[in-house]
Amino acid sequence: MGNIIEIKNLSRTFGDVKAVNDLSFNVKEGELFAFLGVNGAGKSTTINIICAQLEKDGGSVMIDGEDLDKCTQSIKSKIGVVFQNSVLDKALTVKDNLESRAALYGITGDDFKKRLEELSKLLDFGALLKRTVGKLSGGQRRRIDVARALIHDPKILILDEPTTGLDPQTRKLLWNVIYSLRKEKNMTVFLTTHYMEEAADADYVVIIDNGKISAEGTPLELKNKYTGDFITLYGITEREAKILSDEFESLRDAYRISVSDTEEATRLITCHPQIFKDYEITKGKMDDVFLAVTGKKLTGGDDNENG
Amino acid sequence: MRTVKALLKRNTKLFFKDKGMFFTSLITPAILLVLYATFLSKVYKDSFMAALPAGIPMADELINGCVGGQLISSILAVSCVTVSFCSNMLMVQDKANGSIRDITISPVKGSVLALGYYISTLVSTLIICLIAAVICLVYVASIGWYMSLTDVILLLLDIFLLVMFGTALSSIINFFLSTQGQISAVGSIISSCYGFICGAYMPISQFSVGLQRVLSFLPGTYGTSLVRNHALRGVFEEMGNAGFPKEAIDGIKDTVDSNLYFFGSKVETGTMYAILTVTVIVLVSVYIAMNVLRGKSRKGIA
Repeated sequence: MGNIIEIKNLSRTFGDVKAVNDLSFNVKEGELFAFLGVNGAGKSTTINIICAQLEKDGGSVMIDGEDLDKCTQSIKSKIGVVFQNSVLDKALTVKDNLESRAALYGITGDDFKKRLEELSKLLDFGALLKRTVGKLSGGQRRRIDVARALIHDPKILILDEPTTGLDPQTRKLLWNVIYSLRKEKNMTVFLTTHYMEEAADADYVVIIDNGKISAEGTPLELKNKYTGDFITLYGITEREAKILSDEFESLRDAYRISVSDTEEATRLITCHPQIFKDYEITKGKMDDVFLAVTGKKLTGGDDNENG
Repeated sequence: MRTVKALLKRNTKLFFKDKGMFFTSLITPAILLVLYATFLSKVYKDSFMAALPAGIPMADELINGCVGGQLISSILAVSCVTVSFCSNMLMVQDKANGSIRDITISPVKGSVLALGYYISTLVSTLIICLIAAVICLVYVASIGWYMSLTDVILLLLDIFLLVMFGTALSSIINFFLSTQGQISAVGSIISSCYGFICGAYMPISQFSVGLQRVLSFLPGTYGTSLVRNHALRGVFEEMGNAGFPKEAIDGIKDTVDSNLYFFGSKVETGTMYAILTVTVIVLVSVYIAMNVLRGKSRKGIA
């Protein structure tokens, strides 16, 4: 699996602010890549440079083996973007919107009709084709945004906080579509999100802060490096919990103990087998990783997902 | 070409779907006609009567035809440019609401995008100005009609050229704007100033010699004169048939800017067409070049 995005020493400044500061990372073809950072960390600047919407000050960007500086038009046809906020024409119908956008990629006539049929089945919006975009619900509009991003069958799909504010049903539908596209077409997905459980499903995660990479790796590597494990024990007494650790959290029907790693959990189990009758060991969450890496919490999603 | 067609379809649909934008554009020439007919026609008529040589009788209908021709030529010359500024809001709205990002992330060329905006604005402005022209011609017919079919056709050609000019001018100016507030401010400035500098609100012949010379460098002036020439040609011909001295008719032509002079030399109608056509070509080329250069520099969209 080769790299479909290769970014080397990318930099961009706005006045005195270094929005992107010597950033280097790779995205492998077909993977779900999570690009995390608080607002102002440099995510949007990086995405805008990748999409050829913004000029870089230095560094290089290679997309699918092509240099962004030399093959801008070709690269643009390989990228689909779901923007943070819908940017479709609210006064036009769904069909008019998709027709005008498809034409930008040279998809017209029967080719467009065929593609529209495929996408309307995939994203279940056949009944919305004649509806005005401005009158759609948030979830319906998001499905059309995704359809627009996929209209030209791109190799890379950039999702800029795609599920913020969506109902769980639409969120699930979108992720199912993205999952099937990755599976069937080996599509690369470049994701920024405030929902840490979405980042936890990524193949690779890069966390940036102040335009620089603060941490990167697979979710497992990041969890192992930046967070400990949690042991949740059921059916034990507070006294028994205290035997295991002075610091524990009392839950409704269990006690949770934080340990540095799985090795320590194993040691506790072997030392106190009588206490470990009903228990589970879980890794730390991506929220904990993010907090440990940046010292900040991601905001924008639901509280229970960020908490 | 298919992409230009698709963009043209999108932009035109958006213009006509936005009732506010459409009616604001349409109402401009209508308001001008009502204001002119209500407040200025009497002033025009009185000053025209006062300028007539003594002893030569003139039919009321001919006087009305002359005043009416002057009124409608002023309205149409101003409308072609001011309406284009109202119609050409979409390119700024696209920047303000972010739609332009969705368009420019595609491999669409800057020249194609520019043509899409230009032609759609041209179409919508032309529709409105042709509606205005029909209303104006009906008004003239009701007070004193002396235009031939050729005059009407040439008048429509003048409108077409002026709309092309106005659209190109507004495209270049709007290129630098990114908010609704900015475009409203520019629209107000253009609406209030253009009529004066193109000789529509007041004939250029009434200005000082220095100012006349400065204004003779502005191509819009010749557009106004073309419209005026074709709106009044029949009236002047009828005056000649009624026994008016040629010198007196030439004097009236000078007064109402049917005759324009560039540093003392009379500018012929053919030259006026050439000036306007070349200006349109230059302005459209500059506008396309600006879009192409922005696309290449990837400086981002405001």
